[in-house]
Amino acid sequence: MKLRTRRKLTNGVALFLSMAAMAFGLFWLAWILFTVLSQGLGGISINTFTQLTPPPGEMNGGLRNALAGSALLVVISTLIGTPIGILVGIYLAEYGRNSWMANLTRYVNDLLLSAPSIVIGLFVWIALIYTHVAGYSGWAGIIALSLIMIPVVVRTTENMLMLVPGSLREAAYALGASRRVVIMQVLLRAAKSGVVTGILLAIARIAGETAPLLFTALSNQFWNSDLTKPIANLPVTINNFAMSPFVEWQKIAWAGVLIMTVSVLVLNIVARIFFKQEKIG
Amino acid sequence: MQSGNLSESGTAVVPDFSHKLGGVMGNGSVLQTRGGKKDFGDIAFTWLVRVVAMLVLLTLLGIILALVWASLPTIKALGFSFLYTKEWNPPMDHYGAVIPIYGTLVTSVIALVIAVPVSFGIALFLTELAPVWIRRSLGTAIELLAAIPSIVYGMWGLLVFAPVFAKYGQPAIAATLGKVPVIGSLFSGPAMGIGLLTAGIILAIMIIPFIAAVMRDVFEITPPMLKESAYGLGCTTWEVIWGVVLPYSKVGAVGGVMLGLGRALGETMAVTFVIGNTNFLSSPSLFMPGNSITSAVANEFAEASPGLHTAALMELSLVLFVITLIVLMISKWFLARMSKMEK
Amino acid sequence: MSEFTSHIEFKNFNFFYGKYHALKDINLAIPHRKVTAFIGPSGCGKSTLLRTINRMYDLYPDQRAEGKLTLGGTNILESDIDVSMLRAKVGMVFQKPTPFPMSIYDNIAFGVRLHERLTKADMDDRVEWALRRAALWDEVKDKLGKSGMSLSGGQQQRLCIARGVAVKPEVLLLDEPTSALDPISTMRIEELVDELQKEFTIVIVTHNMQQAARISDFTAYMYLGELIEFGNTDQIFVKPSKKQTEDYITGRFG
Repeated sequence: MKLRTRRKLTNGVALFLSMAAMAFGLFWLAWILFTVLSQGLGGISINTFTQLTPPPGEMNGGLRNALAGSALLVVISTLIGTPIGILVGIYLAEYGRNSWMANLTRYVNDLLLSAPSIVIGLFVWIALIYTHVAGYSGWAGIIALSLIMIPVVVRTTENMLMLVPGSLREAAYALGASRRVVIMQVLLRAAKSGVVTGILLAIARIAGETAPLLFTALSNQFWNSDLTKPIANLPVTINNFAMSPFVEWQKIAWAGVLIMTVSVLVLNIVARIFFKQEKIG
Repeated sequence: MQSGNLSESGTAVVPDFSHKLGGVMGNGSVLQTRGGKKDFGDIAFTWLVRVVAMLVLLTLLGIILALVWASLPTIKALGFSFLYTKEWNPPMDHYGAVIPIYGTLVTSVIALVIAVPVSFGIALFLTELAPVWIRRSLGTAIELLAAIPSIVYGMWGLLVFAPVFAKYGQPAIAATLGKVPVIGSLFSGPAMGIGLLTAGIILAIMIIPFIAAVMRDVFEITPPMLKESAYGLGCTTWEVIWGVVLPYSKVGAVGGVMLGLGRALGETMAVTFVIGNTNFLSSPSLFMPGNSITSAVANEFAEASPGLHTAALMELSLVLFVITLIVLMISKWFLARMSKMEK
Repeated sequence: MSEFTSHIEFKNFNFFYGKYHALKDINLAIPHRKVTAFIGPSGCGKSTLLRTINRMYDLYPDQRAEGKLTLGGTNILESDIDVSMLRAKVGMVFQKPTPFPMSIYDNIAFGVRLHERLTKADMDDRVEWALRRAALWDEVKDKLGKSGMSLSGGQQQRLCIARGVAVKPEVLLLDEPTSALDPISTMRIEELVDELQKEFTIVIVTHNMQQAARISDFTAYMYLGELIEFGNTDQIFVKPSKKQTEDYITGRFG
């Protein structure tokens, strides 16, 4: 009887702790989101979207150049990273499969997926700026962000292509389609929702990346759309202003944090909903 | 067109091939390609995907070579002493990596100490306890922790968490853990809010979703039959988890922990905001500010003069990259063993 | 006794999965514009044999065929055969419906576009023609733009038949086409096969003996990778010449 009570008690305590762990996780999410919302809403205004970042000595300003710069960097990185990532995914799922070359590529891709983003930034800095091939510029930032994005797209593309039933592959070949037609027009289309989900998640990831941009795109207090020059962007601007002693600048940083966090979370949630819906249809 | 003949005898299986068929189509040669010509579009596409796939390998190779090359000045000037020298003094051109490496390892260990049990609890809750209708939303909520950009963690950590932690958290820890013999000295000293412990806690929050996701996945692949047999013996939920699910999936769970460690080691912005950024470390207390590899690089990079200082930062990054790769490889090794069990 | 024109011929044909000898010394002539059924217990090689006729095995590097396999007199095992063109002449329908993730119209047009350049009007005609051949036109003519996956299982399978027919092949290979369908859909497909044999040589693999008896003109009984007996379906089912065939057929009928 006593043993049974003790077992039940242990079970109760363990299950309580498990619930407590869940609550612990949610607590931080709630706290961070609350901070972002309350501070961000306090800092955001129409100026955030219409004014440039304030120069030293100036208190008031907005994030117009940083928002535009970030959008430009993310869009071009996506345009570069997505096709490359999809092609590598196609190689792994449809060509290499279990060859040693494909296994090695898959392994290395998984390492890059979790590699510190700061190292990717430094790699681009060494390859372009340290060697004087190019200067601090939008393009350097784009290369770094693309390199971070590619492994995410590779992994999801491969996974999704592997989920396409073999019979669909055979049915397309049976009509006399060539390999690339089968892949591009049938398999990729069948895997579309998963691949798009992966791309959305990859965009969400690079939208918040700060460290690699510190060594590549730097920042720019002016309006600039020339990608061969340093370019303003949201993460680095937040980084610079958050550390500043001026409350006004911190407010601008909080507004930026709000915009960034909301976009990233919305992208994440949209990606999940999109994947769920498409799978059923 | 010619006719074959089927008889009722056993020879029916073998048609009469003696007179060659002219072919029903009459133009069998249509099938032949001119001189075996191949589909050039297909060949080009094959090469395209192969060459592009090489980019992945070249990236890793490029990162290693670039970091080694950029660290050559300090490697030549300092040799291995870089790795065991404590002093980091750019104006004097003295560079020792001990303090940043220590900071990186200590903050990551703190993160694991907190994140592993919590992630285990979350995974357990999501697989065994939570009602099915809420599992998905709760799982997504935890995953969102991983989606929040690290600079947001940094800013929140510095401006919101650190003051609260200094006022309530650190005094409470000093009054409890600080009184325990031996480890007490780790939790002593002034409560500044920022420091190694704060960085470790924030890292823990950041890696919980990674570890919890892997643990949840590996718990879920435990064969239901195993669990049911244990329940059939009268085991409690906890006994099934501890006695059946965990032993079955521990290899994968360790892989998940290593993956989380890999993330923690390389995290930059969140740590840079709250670790304190100092290269002096005189007390074992985790309340003290310190430096990590990533925060040293992120902070000093802009001011570093070309030459030894820059090279020292590159060598630090090289050390970080090598450590991270090893941790990730161990993680992959465990996870591969797990997926073999699955089959 | 029956006269026929042969369309596909296997001569001393062998097939291997890696080292495993899956088909042993097959000699067989498949008649032109008739329905030929391959029957036999699972694993006997009937599907494997079917899939050699459009060289499906090319997709898998460890599979290989030896001997001679002619389609209208041309040996299609030769390495200089244009497999794409071969597959335009030999259509195939699979066990489970395999609609492509695109509209009903595009499902049909997909195969046609691979081999022919048609104007929009001609393509419309071809799509209608193929769907009519597959007895699906009346059910889908108002929703050609809808996804092929939105159809019922039986409709999907007829869509796949229409897709194969649209390319205007000479041969249609059916690999257990009704095994995933309900009895009513099965009946419709069987009626369809009866209709289609006027224009196409049909080879069907089935594990359903009654189906083979109902729809085929000729039947090949296979066992353990060997062709045991081939002949008129009536003859095979009523008085098989081999004891093995008889055992299988009577065993199944119970």
